[in-house]
Amino acid sequence: MQINPSENAAVAASGRGVALKVSDLVKRYGEREVLKGVSLDIAPGEFVAIVGRSGCGKSTLLRLVAGLESHQAGSIHYDGAQQDSHHDTRIMFQDSRLLPWKRVVDNVALGLTPPEYLNAEYVLGQVGLRDRRHDWPARLSGGQRQRVALARALVHQPRLLLLDEPLGALDALTRIEMHGLIENLWHENGFTALLVTHDVGEAIALADRVVLIDEGRITLDLRIDLPRPRQRGDARFAALEERVLKRVLGQQHDIGDPHDEQLGDQSLRRSVEQVRWAV
Amino acid sequence: MSNRPSFFARQLLPWAVPVLLITIWQLSAQLGWLSSRVLPEPWAILKSGWVLLKSGELHHHVLVSTRRALTGLAIGGGAGLLLGLLTGTFKRAETLLDTTLQMIRNVPPLALIPLVILWFGIDEAAKVFLVSLGVFFPIYLNTYHGIRSVDPALIEMAKSYGVTGWRLYRDVILPGALASILVGLRFSLGLMWVLLIVSETISATEGIGYMTMNAREFLRTDVVLVGILLYALLGKLADVIARALERFWLRWNPNYAAA
Repeated sequence: MQINPSENAAVAASGRGVALKVSDLVKRYGEREVLKGVSLDIAPGEFVAIVGRSGCGKSTLLRLVAGLESHQAGSIHYDGAQQDSHHDTRIMFQDSRLLPWKRVVDNVALGLTPPEYLNAEYVLGQVGLRDRRHDWPARLSGGQRQRVALARALVHQPRLLLLDEPLGALDALTRIEMHGLIENLWHENGFTALLVTHDVGEAIALADRVVLIDEGRITLDLRIDLPRPRQRGDARFAALEERVLKRVLGQQHDIGDPHDEQLGDQSLRRSVEQVRWAV
Repeated sequence: MSNRPSFFARQLLPWAVPVLLITIWQLSAQLGWLSSRVLPEPWAILKSGWVLLKSGELHHHVLVSTRRALTGLAIGGGAGLLLGLLTGTFKRAETLLDTTLQMIRNVPPLALIPLVILWFGIDEAAKVFLVSLGVFFPIYLNTYHGIRSVDPALIEMAKSYGVTGWRLYRDVILPGALASILVGLRFSLGLMWVLLIVSETISATEGIGYMTMNAREFLRTDVVLVGILLYALLGKLADVIARALERFWLRWNPNYAAA
């Protein structure tokens, strides 16, 4: 599916997405400060990816936006309001978190009222799993479970979709399929999307903007102007990827804690491998 | 031979040992190695069982015993389920009740027999009380444990999807605890028969326990053995029903799904 920039702008202007404004956000767990004053402005319908090494605070930021945890200082505004009534926000986790005792279609219908149940089947069709609707989740593959989880998030027609490394546990080929699916659904529905990932290639393939968080601070905010759908073999794609990866690498020397450094190394090595896979 | 046992092997193999034992028993009785006072031959037991069945006596005693067992299970199991749900769900209820319940749990129900006879005399209430008390704890403990071990990630997900209150309970917490609750039920079913046997042999005017104690008075070893076999069969039946419930309610779980 070809998506050109003018269509993209139309989506952003349609008003389906939430305008998210995060200001000077601080989060502490006991003595440890995980977020040290993070500010981020996201336009309605924009797709923003947050990258960074393990433990940099990127998932914490997402959980704060989702309202799953509370912060110590700063603010989050949804369309200018302090409290999203939270009915507009849905989150997709790294593990699918499907209820194993409910059939696929009932998992998607979780939290719906009876008149809306038919929507569950429709959205399952959108993710290509309509014919598996009466299966138990245990019978699905990892990629299929994440597609069900995506359907479960989308059936509520969220205006803000939060994705917490949703593809982290999938193999490279399934990931690329999921990228296409997420991009199409984002384009059709026009929600604002905030994706947390450790895979720089994934961030550049999907996002309008890539934000790098290191040690609880935003250290890079890069607009990605590549036309969609993006080709991973493309020279500009590779150049952008190189640039972000270098930034992640460059920060490695600042780390004092050897344990953190090890984690950082690992996540970086993984993403480089995944890039090699994909290209 | 293939690695996968055939249908017949799977269905018949569990019965091989019981059949063998009964054959040895029958043979040794026929060869005169066993006095019929000590252990009558299986054939004699079957015959006296048939006589009891035809007179309607067996029927009556089994019904009375089953009614006592199920009444006790309903009262004790129901209370265990409710209290387990309560202490599993509310921290305050746990703080308030758990210590007390753990203390009572360590008193063997059979140690209460003298007290029970003083309280209830020797009528129905005494037996039902003992059974209720015995089945209460396995169900209580496993319900509590089941609720506590529901995956917090699933609860967090459900809450963020707007599922709260009773719906959270019905869709997430109860199904998550069900496997554990059913384990408690199976423990309880075993204890249920043990406690019933003991309370029926102490004092009763009907029921399987009464039938065997009465037969002992008249040195009818064959009838005593009919009673013992009945307990074995009823216990097995209860277990089969509990397993069937597991297979149905936990059919989403590959570990329980019917092969």
